[in-house]
Amino acid sequence: MPAPDPTPDRESPGRKESFWVQAARYSQLAFILPAALVVGWLIGVALDRWLHTTWLYLAGILLGIVAGFIELIRTFLRDAK
Amino acid sequence: MPEQLWFTEILNHLFATPVTSLLRTLHIEPKYPAAPISNSFSMEVLVFAFLLVLFLLLRSRLSVDRPGALQHAFEGVEGFIQGQSEEIIGHHSEGYTAFLAVLALFILFCNLIGIVPGFESPTAVPIVPLGCAICAFIYYQSQGFKHGGISYLKHFLGPMPALAPLMLPIEIVSHLARVLSLTIRLFANMFAGDMVTLVFFSLVPIGFPIPFLGLHIGVSLLQTYIFVLLTTVYLQGAVSEEH
Repeated sequence: MPAPDPTPDRESPGRKESFWVQAARYSQLAFILPAALVVGWLIGVALDRWLHTTWLYLAGILLGIVAGFIELIRTFLRDAK
Repeated sequence: MPEQLWFTEILNHLFATPVTSLLRTLHIEPKYPAAPISNSFSMEVLVFAFLLVLFLLLRSRLSVDRPGALQHAFEGVEGFIQGQSEEIIGHHSEGYTAFLAVLALFILFCNLIGIVPGFESPTAVPIVPLGCAICAFIYYQSQGFKHGGISYLKHFLGPMPALAPLMLPIEIVSHLARVLSLTIRLFANMFAGDMVTLVFFSLVPIGFPIPFLGLHIGVSLLQTYIFVLLTTVYLQGAVSEEH
Protein backbone atom coordinates (compact mmCIF):
# COMPACT_ATOMS: atom_id res chain seq x y z
CA MET A 1 0.00 0.00 0.00
CA PRO A 2 1.57 3.32 -1.00
CA ALA A 3 2.28 5.84 1.72
CA PRO A 4 -0.03 8.86 1.72
CA ASP A 5 1.42 12.06 0.25
CA PRO A 6 2.40 14.26 3.22
CA THR A 7 1.85 17.41 1.13
CA PRO A 8 -1.54 17.14 -0.53
CA ASP A 9 -2.05 18.79 -3.91
CA ARG A 10 -3.21 22.31 -3.20
CA GLU A 11 -4.87 22.67 -6.55
CA SER A 12 -7.26 19.84 -5.93
CA PRO A 13 -10.87 20.90 -5.40
CA GLY A 14 -12.16 20.76 -1.87
CA ARG A 15 -8.87 21.77 -0.24
CA LYS A 16 -9.27 23.74 2.97
CA GLU A 17 -7.62 27.12 3.38
CA SER A 18 -6.54 28.56 6.70
CA PHE A 19 -8.74 31.03 8.54
CA TRP A 20 -6.48 33.97 7.61
CA VAL A 21 -6.54 33.20 3.90
CA GLN A 22 -10.32 32.95 3.95
CA ALA A 23 -10.57 36.14 6.02
CA ALA A 24 -8.43 38.03 3.49
CA ARG A 25 -10.48 36.64 0.61
CA TYR A 26 -13.71 37.79 2.23
CA SER A 27 -12.24 41.15 3.22
CA GLN A 28 -11.90 42.01 -0.46
CA LEU A 29 -15.63 41.47 -1.00
CA ALA A 30 -16.37 44.83 0.63
CA PHE A 31 -14.11 46.57 -1.87
CA ILE A 32 -14.55 44.63 -5.08
CA LEU A 33 -18.11 45.75 -5.92
CA PRO A 34 -17.53 49.52 -5.57
CA ALA A 35 -14.08 49.18 -7.16
CA ALA A 36 -15.52 47.36 -10.19
CA LEU A 37 -18.24 50.00 -10.47
CA VAL A 38 -15.67 52.84 -10.42
CA VAL A 39 -13.44 51.08 -12.96
CA GLY A 40 -16.44 50.49 -15.27
CA TRP A 41 -17.47 54.14 -14.91
CA LEU A 42 -13.91 55.36 -15.64
CA ILE A 43 -13.70 53.19 -18.76
CA GLY A 44 -17.13 54.45 -19.86
CA VAL A 45 -16.14 58.11 -19.33
CA ALA A 46 -12.89 57.57 -21.27
CA LEU A 47 -14.82 55.96 -24.14
CA ASP A 48 -17.37 58.80 -24.07
CA ARG A 49 -14.59 61.37 -24.45
CA TRP A 50 -12.86 59.36 -27.16
CA LEU A 51 -15.96 58.55 -29.22
CA HIS A 52 -17.85 61.82 -28.44
CA THR A 53 -20.85 59.95 -27.03
CA THR A 54 -22.86 60.64 -23.87
CA TRP A 55 -24.19 57.26 -22.77
CA LEU A 56 -21.22 54.89 -22.59
CA TYR A 57 -20.53 55.85 -18.97
CA LEU A 58 -23.88 54.27 -18.07
CA ALA A 59 -22.95 51.12 -19.96
CA GLY A 60 -19.61 51.18 -18.09
CA ILE A 61 -21.35 51.45 -14.72
CA LEU A 62 -23.63 48.52 -15.58
CA LEU A 63 -20.63 46.51 -16.76
CA GLY A 64 -18.84 47.33 -13.50
CA ILE A 65 -21.81 46.22 -11.40
CA VAL A 66 -22.08 42.94 -13.34
CA ALA A 67 -18.31 42.35 -13.05
CA GLY A 68 -18.42 43.07 -9.31
CA PHE A 69 -21.31 40.67 -8.74
CA ILE A 70 -19.64 37.95 -10.81
CA GLU A 71 -16.49 38.31 -8.71
CA LEU A 72 -18.60 38.14 -5.52
CA ILE A 73 -20.47 35.03 -6.67
CA ARG A 74 -17.23 33.42 -7.85
CA THR A 75 -15.61 33.95 -4.44
CA PHE A 76 -18.60 32.43 -2.63
CA LEU A 77 -18.81 29.47 -5.02
CA ARG A 78 -15.06 28.78 -4.70
CA ASP A 79 -15.43 28.21 -0.97
CA ALA A 80 -18.76 26.41 -1.28
CA LYS A 81 -17.21 23.67 -3.46
CA MET B 1 5.94 75.58 -2.66
CA PRO B 2 4.68 72.52 -0.69
CA GLU B 3 5.85 71.75 2.83
CA GLN B 4 8.87 69.50 2.57
CA LEU B 5 10.37 66.98 4.97
CA TRP B 6 14.07 67.43 5.67
CA PHE B 7 14.99 64.44 3.50
CA THR B 8 12.88 65.76 0.63
CA GLU B 9 14.63 69.13 0.97
CA ILE B 10 18.02 67.45 0.67
CA LEU B 11 16.93 65.49 -2.43
CA ASN B 12 15.43 68.61 -4.03
CA HIS B 13 18.55 70.60 -3.20
CA LEU B 14 20.73 67.97 -4.89
CA PHE B 15 18.55 66.74 -7.76
CA ALA B 16 15.87 69.37 -8.52
CA THR B 17 17.55 70.59 -11.73
CA PRO B 18 18.20 67.18 -13.35
CA VAL B 19 14.78 65.83 -12.29
CA THR B 20 12.98 68.89 -13.73
CA SER B 21 14.99 68.57 -16.98
CA LEU B 22 14.15 64.86 -17.17
CA LEU B 23 10.43 65.52 -16.64
CA ARG B 24 10.45 68.27 -19.28
CA THR B 25 12.21 65.91 -21.70
CA LEU B 26 9.27 63.54 -21.15
CA HIS B 27 6.88 66.48 -21.80
CA ILE B 28 5.76 66.58 -18.16
CA GLU B 29 5.70 70.02 -16.55
CA PRO B 30 6.34 69.69 -12.80
CA LYS B 31 3.98 71.67 -10.56
CA TYR B 32 6.92 73.09 -8.60
CA PRO B 33 10.01 73.18 -10.86
CA ALA B 34 12.22 74.19 -7.92
CA ALA B 35 11.02 71.19 -5.89
CA PRO B 36 9.85 68.44 -8.25
CA ILE B 37 10.51 65.62 -5.76
CA SER B 38 7.52 65.01 -3.49
CA ASN B 39 7.61 63.82 0.12
CA SER B 40 6.09 60.46 -0.82
CA PHE B 41 8.72 59.87 -3.51
CA SER B 42 11.58 60.82 -1.20
CA MET B 43 10.23 58.45 1.47
CA GLU B 44 10.08 55.66 -1.12
CA VAL B 45 13.69 56.37 -2.07
CA LEU B 46 14.65 56.25 1.61
CA VAL B 47 12.88 52.90 2.14
CA PHE B 48 14.48 51.53 -1.03
CA ALA B 49 17.95 52.64 0.12
CA PHE B 50 17.34 51.24 3.61
CA LEU B 51 16.26 47.86 2.24
CA LEU B 52 19.23 47.80 -0.15
CA VAL B 53 21.67 48.45 2.71
CA LEU B 54 19.87 45.85 4.85
CA PHE B 55 20.09 43.21 2.11
CA LEU B 56 23.78 43.99 1.43
CA LEU B 57 24.49 43.73 5.16
CA LEU B 58 22.60 40.45 5.32
CA ARG B 59 24.42 39.10 2.25
CA SER B 60 27.82 39.90 3.78
CA ARG B 61 26.94 38.13 7.05
CA LEU B 62 25.22 35.00 5.69
CA SER B 63 26.37 31.94 7.60
CA VAL B 64 25.10 28.37 7.67
CA ASP B 65 26.83 27.50 10.96
CA ARG B 66 26.24 30.67 12.95
CA PRO B 67 23.29 32.62 11.56
CA GLY B 68 22.88 36.03 13.19
CA ALA B 69 19.73 37.74 14.42
CA LEU B 70 19.22 39.57 11.10
CA GLN B 71 19.53 36.32 9.15
CA HIS B 72 17.07 34.63 11.50
CA ALA B 73 14.59 37.48 11.04
CA PHE B 74 14.79 37.40 7.25
CA GLU B 75 14.64 33.61 7.16
CA GLY B 76 11.49 33.90 9.27
CA VAL B 77 9.91 36.34 6.80
CA GLU B 78 10.94 34.22 3.81
CA GLY B 79 9.68 31.02 5.48
CA PHE B 80 6.35 32.62 6.40
CA ILE B 81 5.71 33.88 2.86
CA GLN B 82 6.91 30.59 1.36
CA GLY B 83 4.54 28.62 3.60
CA GLN B 84 1.63 30.90 2.82
CA SER B 85 2.17 30.77 -0.96
CA GLU B 86 2.51 26.99 -0.83
CA GLU B 87 -0.79 26.82 1.02
CA ILE B 88 -2.51 28.97 -1.60
CA ILE B 89 -0.70 28.22 -4.88
CA GLY B 90 0.64 24.72 -4.32
CA HIS B 91 3.89 22.86 -4.91
CA HIS B 92 5.33 25.13 -7.61
CA SER B 93 5.11 28.31 -5.52
CA GLU B 94 8.86 28.69 -4.72
CA GLY B 95 9.50 30.88 -7.77
CA TYR B 96 7.11 33.55 -6.56
CA THR B 97 8.49 33.90 -3.03
CA ALA B 98 11.19 36.46 -3.96
CA PHE B 99 8.72 38.92 -5.47
CA LEU B 100 6.18 38.47 -2.69
CA ALA B 101 8.81 38.86 0.05
CA VAL B 102 10.24 42.04 -1.49
CA LEU B 103 6.75 43.46 -1.99
CA ALA B 104 5.90 42.68 1.63
CA LEU B 105 9.08 44.24 3.02
CA PHE B 106 8.73 47.35 0.87
CA ILE B 107 5.11 47.94 1.89
CA LEU B 108 5.83 47.14 5.53
CA PHE B 109 8.71 49.63 5.79
CA CYS B 110 6.72 52.23 3.82
CA ASN B 111 3.92 51.81 6.37
CA LEU B 112 6.17 51.83 9.43
CA ILE B 113 8.39 54.78 8.46
CA GLY B 114 5.47 57.07 9.38
CA ILE B 115 5.94 56.46 13.09
CA VAL B 116 9.51 57.82 13.01
CA PRO B 117 9.48 61.58 13.81
CA GLY B 118 10.47 63.63 10.78
CA PHE B 119 9.18 61.09 8.27
CA GLU B 120 5.75 60.18 6.89
CA SER B 121 4.21 57.03 5.43
CA PRO B 122 4.37 57.17 1.62
CA THR B 123 1.54 54.62 1.53
CA ALA B 124 -0.78 57.31 2.96
CA VAL B 125 -0.60 58.99 -0.47
CA PRO B 126 -2.75 57.17 -3.09
CA ILE B 127 -0.12 57.11 -5.84
CA VAL B 128 2.24 54.83 -3.86
CA PRO B 129 -0.28 52.02 -3.10
CA LEU B 130 -1.41 52.38 -6.73
CA GLY B 131 2.17 51.81 -7.89
CA CYS B 132 2.47 48.71 -5.66
CA ALA B 133 -0.90 47.41 -6.92
CA ILE B 134 0.12 47.96 -10.56
CA CYS B 135 3.39 46.07 -9.90
CA ALA B 136 1.38 43.19 -8.40
CA PHE B 137 -1.06 43.29 -11.33
CA ILE B 138 1.71 43.23 -13.98
CA TYR B 139 3.52 40.45 -12.10
CA TYR B 140 0.56 38.09 -11.75
CA GLN B 141 -0.57 38.68 -15.33
CA SER B 142 2.94 38.06 -16.67
CA GLN B 143 3.26 34.90 -14.57
CA GLY B 144 -0.11 33.77 -15.90
CA PHE B 145 1.15 34.17 -19.48
CA LYS B 146 4.49 32.56 -18.60
CA HIS B 147 2.77 29.57 -17.00
CA GLY B 148 -0.11 29.05 -19.41
CA GLY B 149 1.15 30.66 -22.60
CA ILE B 150 -1.47 31.96 -25.00
CA SER B 151 -4.08 29.67 -23.40
CA TYR B 152 -3.99 31.99 -20.36
CA LEU B 153 -6.32 34.22 -22.38
CA LYS B 154 -9.02 31.57 -21.83
CA HIS B 155 -9.21 32.90 -18.25
CA PHE B 156 -10.78 36.03 -19.71
CA LEU B 157 -13.24 34.32 -22.06
CA GLY B 158 -15.50 32.50 -19.63
CA PRO B 159 -16.57 28.85 -19.65
CA MET B 160 -18.36 28.86 -23.05
CA PRO B 161 -17.11 30.28 -26.40
CA ALA B 162 -20.57 31.76 -27.08
CA LEU B 163 -20.29 33.89 -23.94
CA ALA B 164 -16.76 35.12 -24.75
CA PRO B 165 -17.75 38.56 -26.21
CA LEU B 166 -19.75 39.24 -23.04
CA MET B 167 -17.23 37.81 -20.59
CA LEU B 168 -14.15 39.56 -21.99
CA PRO B 169 -15.11 43.15 -20.95
CA ILE B 170 -16.49 41.84 -17.65
CA GLU B 171 -13.23 40.02 -16.87
CA ILE B 172 -11.13 43.04 -17.86
CA VAL B 173 -13.15 45.29 -15.52
CA SER B 174 -12.97 42.63 -12.82
CA HIS B 175 -9.16 42.39 -13.05
CA LEU B 176 -8.73 46.18 -13.10
CA ALA B 177 -11.03 46.42 -10.09
CA ARG B 178 -8.52 44.31 -8.16
CA VAL B 179 -5.91 47.04 -8.67
CA LEU B 180 -8.28 49.69 -7.37
CA SER B 181 -9.37 47.48 -4.49
CA LEU B 182 -5.75 46.86 -3.37
CA THR B 183 -4.95 50.57 -3.72
CA ILE B 184 -7.93 51.91 -1.77
CA ARG B 185 -7.60 49.39 1.05
CA LEU B 186 -3.94 50.17 1.74
CA PHE B 187 -4.24 53.93 1.19
CA ALA B 188 -7.39 54.38 3.28
CA ASN B 189 -6.07 52.36 6.22
CA MET B 190 -2.70 54.08 6.31
CA PHE B 191 -4.20 57.55 5.83
CA ALA B 192 -6.72 56.93 8.61
CA GLY B 193 -3.99 55.53 10.89
CA ASP B 194 -1.81 58.59 10.31
CA MET B 195 -4.71 60.98 10.91
CA VAL B 196 -5.79 59.32 14.15
CA THR B 197 -2.23 59.41 15.51
CA LEU B 198 -1.79 63.03 14.40
CA VAL B 199 -5.09 64.21 15.91
CA PHE B 200 -4.44 62.62 19.30
CA PHE B 201 -0.84 63.81 19.25
CA SER B 202 -1.99 67.38 18.65
CA LEU B 203 -4.60 67.12 21.46
CA VAL B 204 -2.43 65.48 24.15
CA PRO B 205 1.20 65.29 23.03
CA ILE B 206 2.53 63.27 25.98
CA GLY B 207 1.67 59.63 26.70
CA PHE B 208 -1.79 59.49 25.17
CA PRO B 209 -0.72 58.92 21.52
CA ILE B 210 1.35 55.83 22.44
CA PRO B 211 -1.59 53.36 22.16
CA PHE B 212 -2.40 54.89 18.78
CA LEU B 213 1.19 54.41 17.66
CA GLY B 214 0.76 50.76 18.64
CA LEU B 215 -2.45 50.69 16.63
CA HIS B 216 -0.58 52.19 13.67
CA ILE B 217 2.03 49.42 13.88
CA GLY B 218 -0.74 46.79 14.03
CA VAL B 219 -2.54 48.29 11.03
CA SER B 220 0.76 48.48 9.12
CA LEU B 221 1.46 44.77 9.70
CA LEU B 222 -2.12 43.73 8.93
CA GLN B 223 -2.38 45.76 5.72
CA THR B 224 0.97 44.43 4.49
CA TYR B 225 -0.23 40.90 5.17
CA ILE B 226 -3.56 41.44 3.38
CA PHE B 227 -1.90 43.09 0.37
CA VAL B 228 0.58 40.24 -0.09
CA LEU B 229 -2.02 37.58 0.65
CA LEU B 230 -4.41 38.94 -1.98
CA THR B 231 -1.56 39.22 -4.50
CA THR B 232 -0.85 35.53 -3.80
CA VAL B 233 -4.53 34.68 -4.29
CA TYR B 234 -4.56 36.54 -7.64
CA LEU B 235 -1.32 34.79 -8.59
CA GLN B 236 -2.93 31.44 -7.79
CA GLY B 237 -5.87 32.34 -10.03
CA ALA B 238 -3.49 33.24 -12.86
CA VAL B 239 -1.26 30.15 -12.70
CA SER B 240 -3.90 27.53 -11.86
CA GLU B 241 -5.11 25.24 -14.62
CA GLU B 242 -8.82 25.63 -13.88
CA HIS B 243 -10.70 28.56 -15.44
